Amino acid sequence: MDERQLKEILGAEAVPPADENARKQAINLALAAFDEARRETRKKRQGFGLLGRLIGRDRKRSKGRPMRKSLVLGGSAAALLMMVATASVFTARSWLDAQRAGPQRVLMLDKADAGRDPGEKREREFAAAEQAAPAPTIAETKRKPAKQPSVDARGQLELQYRLSSPMQGGGVPILVVPSPGDVVPPHYQDVGRDQFQSVEQNPVKRVAEDPVSTFSIDVDTASYAFVRRQLNHGVLPQKDAVRIEELINYFTYAYPLPEARERPFETTVSVTPSPWKDGNKLIHIGIKGYDIEPAEKPRSNLVFLLDVSGSMNAPDKLPLMVNSMKLLLDTLGPEDTVAIVVYAGAAGTVLEPTKVAEKNKILAALDRLQAGGSTAGAEGIRQAYALAEASLDDKAVNRVILATDGDFNVGITNREELKDFIERKRDTGVFLSVLGFGQGNLNDHLMQTLAQNGNGVAAHIDTLNEARKVLVEEASSALFPIAKDVKIQVDFNPRKVAEYRLIGYETRALAREDFSNDQVDAGDIGAGHTVTAIYEITPVGSENRMIEPSRYETTAAVSETPFADEYAFLKIRYKLPDQDRSTLITTPVTLAQESATGASAREAQWATAVAAFGQLLKGGKYTGAYTYDDVIALAQGAKGDDRFGYRAEFINLVRLARTASALPKN
Amino acid sequence: MTETSETDLIERAQRGDRSAFEALLRSHYDAMYRMAYKWCGNREDAQDITQTACIKLARSLASFRFQSAFLTWLYPLVINTAKDWMRARARHPAGDGKDPDYAQEPVAEQKVYAGQVLDRIRALPEREREAIYLVFSEGLSHREAAQAMACRESTVSWYIHEARKKLRSLREREARHG
Repeated sequence: MDERQLKEILGAEAVPPADENARKQAINLALAAFDEARRETRKKRQGFGLLGRLIGRDRKRSKGRPMRKSLVLGGSAAALLMMVATASVFTARSWLDAQRAGPQRVLMLDKADAGRDPGEKREREFAAAEQAAPAPTIAETKRKPAKQPSVDARGQLELQYRLSSPMQGGGVPILVVPSPGDVVPPHYQDVGRDQFQSVEQNPVKRVAEDPVSTFSIDVDTASYAFVRRQLNHGVLPQKDAVRIEELINYFTYAYPLPEARERPFETTVSVTPSPWKDGNKLIHIGIKGYDIEPAEKPRSNLVFLLDVSGSMNAPDKLPLMVNSMKLLLDTLGPEDTVAIVVYAGAAGTVLEPTKVAEKNKILAALDRLQAGGSTAGAEGIRQAYALAEASLDDKAVNRVILATDGDFNVGITNREELKDFIERKRDTGVFLSVLGFGQGNLNDHLMQTLAQNGNGVAAHIDTLNEARKVLVEEASSALFPIAKDVKIQVDFNPRKVAEYRLIGYETRALAREDFSNDQVDAGDIGAGHTVTAIYEITPVGSENRMIEPSRYETTAAVSETPFADEYAFLKIRYKLPDQDRSTLITTPVTLAQESATGASAREAQWATAVAAFGQLLKGGKYTGAYTYDDVIALAQGAKGDDRFGYRAEFINLVRLARTASALPKN
Repeated sequence: MTETSETDLIERAQRGDRSAFEALLRSHYDAMYRMAYKWCGNREDAQDITQTACIKLARSLASFRFQSAFLTWLYPLVINTAKDWMRARARHPAGDGKDPDYAQEPVAEQKVYAGQVLDRIRALPEREREAIYLVFSEGLSHREAAQAMACRESTVSWYIHEARKKLRSLREREARHG
């Protein structure tokens, strides 16, 4: 074949003209990306040190046009760009996160840490898989030999770490030391777009004044995934992002299983010495839900409500979401039904309720999903519930699974209205679970609120491994509630306990009288769930008391009473899923429970380590001189089987936190 | 568009001028779409690829240094996007990727042969295929193609040599059977 012929053939190939709409859409998207790029360049100047210098003129612009989200599929641009220049985004993000975490931390991950940490590797691989475009910053980085560290005017050494993509840099982080001129301190600190509710830690309470503590259980684990993500980026998480009970409940504990479904869960109580304060004791309350045998699983009627707004267009969002849904699909039986509703600029039903037996149809629908548009969460919720109700089956588990990366921009923006809506629907028998993807746009608080009102769980999914944990291993628990409105009340014995403090569960506190009021909603527990709550108590006579007793209080020793060997009395109320009246379970917490051995002692020790970690991340107000190293030592001794490596991963996270916190604060 | 006005547009867009960027996009959309179409051979994919490439352009325009013609700089952007797109497609196949409107129209024998050659070209290793496109379809010199492909000129020549060898075997088979 000669050249002329080749040219002819290639030249003669008919190229049908592009569709005018496709053309317009492409141009609009690119313009939105352009706007976003400019915004990012301004905002995250620090992260784009090199780029910034190359297009330095942009810096002079003080104000830019705000992105018009409603107009064109705006967010997608941002997200897509993240994908385009993943490497640089990592840098910008990490830096931004560091700023957001409060004290300025500058990070340097040593090679060993990076190599040790599986989470980070996973994420990087994920990013690399999607790394499509030429990422100019990487190329630039490689060309420039690493400069010697320079010291700026204030005499600080500023380092930035830049993760190279595995494809380009062999997986070894490249250190880039920007010259002083490149490092511009951020103009304002509060640029984090992930929103968290600010909650004070539970205070120490005096038994003499407040002998009864009441709270609702919580089986969410979203906080753990968020914390892990931040730490894997080398930053300490925002304190408000750390919910200790969610860290503790992330792990599965080997508590004894209940025998029969009529009594849906078993409580395990143990008392251990507090590792961070001599003389204090920790009361562990462990609850293990009844595990449904696969054969007796009820049918599922699921409606996936998927966010395909532009911002989902990042490797760790839409593709991860689709893969997660596929994992979930594998755990369903052929008679279960699945429907898919997507929401973005407009909400639409992608798949009518379809039996899982027609799996190909469902898979095809998932594969067709594309991101684009702004988020109209509320409209989608209406459609999803309508579908769930259309195929409502009293004997089945009817659930809407909402997967999103954040806010609900359009539609019912009034949160109360949205909450009410979900609550009303809950009473009709349709529950809601919320899965969060990605970071940067997450509205954690809204996610939590919606899930809590919809009798479901909120989970943050950052990796496929996490998706497997949440959707496959815990599929039955997330899907099959075995008890609802589970409340815990602990009545402390003032003769044995001077002070107590509930670790975590701040957002779940209930009033004392709410305990026996069946109208008051509380958390739900699913098949096989474990829930752990820890109280730290100061025994009577200990020097550790935080609160001085009143001068006029009688201190006369009380003679022997019938409850002399009891620290407290534990009461749990729950309703079976189809009941409106609650049932009460009670267990005394006795001195005898201090001598726990074997598995339950190990599980208590693990929970203690996680609780200590959470408290350190929140600032260590009550943990005295306890350090991350102590946490590691404690956790190492309680790893147990750890079949999927979750506990080993936790220990790595503690190491990362230690590294991040050891760096000098500005 | 004259060269100066193009340069001017790019410079303005690099400084953050939105309207300049828009004008740049409008004037190059068709060229980008054409490249994408030649690579994947169907309209749907080509539009999607072009869209992705446009978005990438918004971010990476800042790194254009005027060291080559803008179009030459655009080729790898579009072609890399196309490659990734087609790879992603291969992982999740949905149909055969051909545009039904154009594939099924009645064609003369000559056209059948041309179609076979095109199919054959699309089956070539990516780099060889890229070289063939840049040189024979886009009319670049080996030197310009080398710039676009970020390799040496002699490598481009070698890719083309290899590709033609493979295409020739098709021709010979054709001759034997024909």
